[in-house]
Amino acid sequence: MIFCLRRSPVGAGLSDRRTAAMVVNDNAGHLTPRGALRLFASKLAPAVLCVLLSIPGLANAFDLQQLSDQLAKPDVIHGNFIQEKHLRALPQPLTSKGAFVLAKNHGLLWLLKTPLQQDYRITAKGIARRDANGWQTLPGKSAGAEQNRLFLAVLQGDSSGLQRDFELSLSGEAQNWKLTLTPRSLLLKQVFNQINITGGELVHSIELLETQGDSTLLRMQDSTSGQPLSDAEQHDFAE
Amino acid sequence: MTLPSERTLPRLFLILLLAVLALAGWQWRDGAPLSANLMELVPGTAPDALELRAEQRMQEPLNREMLVLVGHKDRQQAVAMAQKLGEQWQASGLFEKVQWTLQADLPALRTQLLQGRLAMLSATDRQQLIEHPDAFIQQRVQALFDPFTGFSLVPSQDDWLGLTGRIQNSQPQHGSVQLDIGSGALVADADGKSWVLLRARTTGNAFDMNLPLQVADLLKHSREEAAQSDVQLLAASGLLYAAAGQQQATREMTWVGGGATVGILLLLLLAFRRWRVLLAFVPVLVGMLFGAVACVALFGHMHVMTLVLGSSLIGVAVDYPLHYLSKSWSLKPWHSWPALRLTLPGLTLSLITSCIGYLALAWTPFPALTQIAVFSTAGLLGAYLSAVCLLPALLKGADLRPAQWPLRVSEYLLDRREALLRIARTPVLLALLIAFCVGGLLQLDSKNDIRQWVGAPQQLTDEAQTIARITGYQPTSQFFLVRAANQQALLERQTALSERLDQLVNLDKLQGYLSLNQLVSQPHEQHKVREALNKLPQFWQPLLDVGVPLEALKTELATLQALPVEDIDSALAGPLAEPWRTLWLGPTEDGVAAMVSLQGLNNPALLRVQARDLPGVELVDRLGELNNVFAQTQISAAELKLASCVLIVLVLILPFGLGGALRIVSLPLLAALCSLASLGWLGHPLTLFSLFGLLLVTAISVDYAILMREQVGGASVSLLGTLLAALTTWLSFGLLAVSSTPAVSNFGLSVSLGLAFSFLLAPWAGRQVHATSVAESAA
Repeated sequence: MIFCLRRSPVGAGLSDRRTAAMVVNDNAGHLTPRGALRLFASKLAPAVLCVLLSIPGLANAFDLQQLSDQLAKPDVIHGNFIQEKHLRALPQPLTSKGAFVLAKNHGLLWLLKTPLQQDYRITAKGIARRDANGWQTLPGKSAGAEQNRLFLAVLQGDSSGLQRDFELSLSGEAQNWKLTLTPRSLLLKQVFNQINITGGELVHSIELLETQGDSTLLRMQDSTSGQPLSDAEQHDFAE
Repeated sequence: MTLPSERTLPRLFLILLLAVLALAGWQWRDGAPLSANLMELVPGTAPDALELRAEQRMQEPLNREMLVLVGHKDRQQAVAMAQKLGEQWQASGLFEKVQWTLQADLPALRTQLLQGRLAMLSATDRQQLIEHPDAFIQQRVQALFDPFTGFSLVPSQDDWLGLTGRIQNSQPQHGSVQLDIGSGALVADADGKSWVLLRARTTGNAFDMNLPLQVADLLKHSREEAAQSDVQLLAASGLLYAAAGQQQATREMTWVGGGATVGILLLLLLAFRRWRVLLAFVPVLVGMLFGAVACVALFGHMHVMTLVLGSSLIGVAVDYPLHYLSKSWSLKPWHSWPALRLTLPGLTLSLITSCIGYLALAWTPFPALTQIAVFSTAGLLGAYLSAVCLLPALLKGADLRPAQWPLRVSEYLLDRREALLRIARTPVLLALLIAFCVGGLLQLDSKNDIRQWVGAPQQLTDEAQTIARITGYQPTSQFFLVRAANQQALLERQTALSERLDQLVNLDKLQGYLSLNQLVSQPHEQHKVREALNKLPQFWQPLLDVGVPLEALKTELATLQALPVEDIDSALAGPLAEPWRTLWLGPTEDGVAAMVSLQGLNNPALLRVQARDLPGVELVDRLGELNNVFAQTQISAAELKLASCVLIVLVLILPFGLGGALRIVSLPLLAALCSLASLGWLGHPLTLFSLFGLLLVTAISVDYAILMREQVGGASVSLLGTLLAALTTWLSFGLLAVSSTPAVSNFGLSVSLGLAFSFLLAPWAGRQVHATSVAESAA
């Protein structure tokens, strides 16, 4: 017999067992811009950022491979950053400063100091923000989320993650190079024009050019790779 | 000695037959007028027009959309396969739209976000803005510098206060499906695989007869193709259930119809040993034709379920010719017209009682049964007419020399009965029978569920469940219908409902819900936000400190103040509103109405409580209602059964007198009781369908009692007639018991049991006084 009740086979046998015919009732359909939007908006930027801090193992070209190996060498990098947000409407960029710690096997600590203080942490578990009660993982940014995939791809030297989403082009030499990332997908193209990364031994700067005309420039200064993680830093990653 | 009537009757009937054939041809001119929509078969619980519209709206995607998960350990490969299948499907022409990537129209999203900054702000954000403007500003400053959350679709300079970012973040999100940024695919990770979501919307719906099969076929090929690349496909769609249902119906029709036909033909050949006797099947064919034509004429189409259940009519229709064919054991030589004349009163009575029984089904609130009743009544009438008018002419001159063994069987059975009666008199037997009944009835459980109508293959259900688990989407069939005089009142009522639903969500009793008030706030809330914005300049110093120009803030405030109050219609226009769009029912006769849909419900009983004391809010739980209707119908079905018995008694008083009529009717009733008890003993639950089956048995088995009481040609010949009739009927109904649709098989089982008991009890019908045969009269 024919049975297309509006009941949920999706739900059948689950919470309220429904006649086995309701299938697509279909909030999956509603994924369309909304669900993705949020994820996209708040997760993409950090993803790209993290990726860039350590440049993934770019496997297919000799130069990229060289760069990848070079950047993958240090276990721990300490440094300071200056972030400039250039907004079309502002004569002066919004500037913030702070320090960062990138540990190969742990993740990234991002410690914003001026004009306000805020600590962030990105690990395999997601993005967390520190408040009075300690680290708070941001909701909706759990493990398995897109940015973690990219991020981990990067940390583990998996090139496919980045190369799938961006066209990569490298110029310059080992001590003074520039890597340009151009988004491949239509979706990314609606957000970014380009991402430029420069560096030598370590990454010097990252520039994000948005299609809307705004841009963000991150400058990494005084980066050193000699110093191991301090106890406090280790504690921060462990928590 | 050909009587004039023997010449005119066949001619008249042939004219009628031609007319009906012509009508059938006209009805089938555009293909088979068949329907497969189950909802047409279940009782309408008389919802009002609005409720009906709401239901149709909720149902529509089910019958047109297919959700497929394309899974592989490697995400890339899964995406590639999804893309490949997507292209193939699009090219198949079956689908209006095939989608595996997210097509976000960012400019439109931006416009909507900017436009809705007052109206779409969530309750929490509104509250903060109104009560703690300082904290609101502080968070905005943080967000401006936050490299991780500071990204918004709308550039900061268009939205210094960050309202759009808050709206973005407060959008309800369910499920565990993520966007794969590179490909734009929607992916869920589970069971060590990446599952890419592929959605297809068909051009027609699940009730087109061919589409579901085509879709199922395409899916099958895609599965095979995917399997070659080690990719697994999971699919869920109402269409697949429709396809499975159709295939099953076809299969069962073949089995039931074919099995019954072959069995009956064999029986006829074995008993009468003449090829010509196969002409007895003519009334069956005519009956099917009449039934189908009447059904289409009355309902515009015929449901496939009617066909399946209707195919059991074969066994009843063949009884009419059997009535006089079986007289060939006693009438020697046998001539068709005299044999007919001899049995005509019994035949006619039998037609009337059967029709009463079938028509009793028509009074149940089940459109399915109404159709079956119409089909069967018209079919029986057709079979009767052809058996009375046409068949004797076809059989004229046939020299029937039936095999003697059936008669010996029936004589043996009668002897056994004699022997039994010598050991125990009828009252003793009756007492034993009643004890058997009581014992069985005590063990009888009643069970009614709409799911009995569905013989859904386990694999489909399993896949659907897996999809629900992987994606986290667990839509429920229940929803709330909210009515109000105007939009403002509607949003107010939805807000009140939302507060209660939020509690359920917090208690993990509900996964989530969608309600229009999440998309757009009430006009007076929008005013409050506007007023709160007016006070903001006192608090925005921190923004100025980090370098945001005062001018920019002032301009933005002015823009915000100038934003018009958004109503539901304007809010629904933008791309963000897609999930809510189906919920809005718009203006109604007495105001406006909208639905609230639910996700991942644990306890349906809790929902009813939620709507309590909320004016204009109503829970629509069609499934629950249907199950209630089932239970109630069970009682009315029993009443109907009694009513039909009374009617049959009235009909039978004329030929048999009150005592005889009562006796004839009490036998089928006792048989029904025994069948019920047997169900109890067998551990089968009593369903509405078993009851309907028994309702039918009453009508059919009155026949047997009449046959036995009439005793044309002696007790053993009558018993033989009864045996043949019962066997043919059983052949067709009994085969229904093998159906994989619980409702149909229940029906078949109870009819089979009822027939068996009716046959056993038939000899107790007594003997009409004019009879002079040797049969033992019942005590």
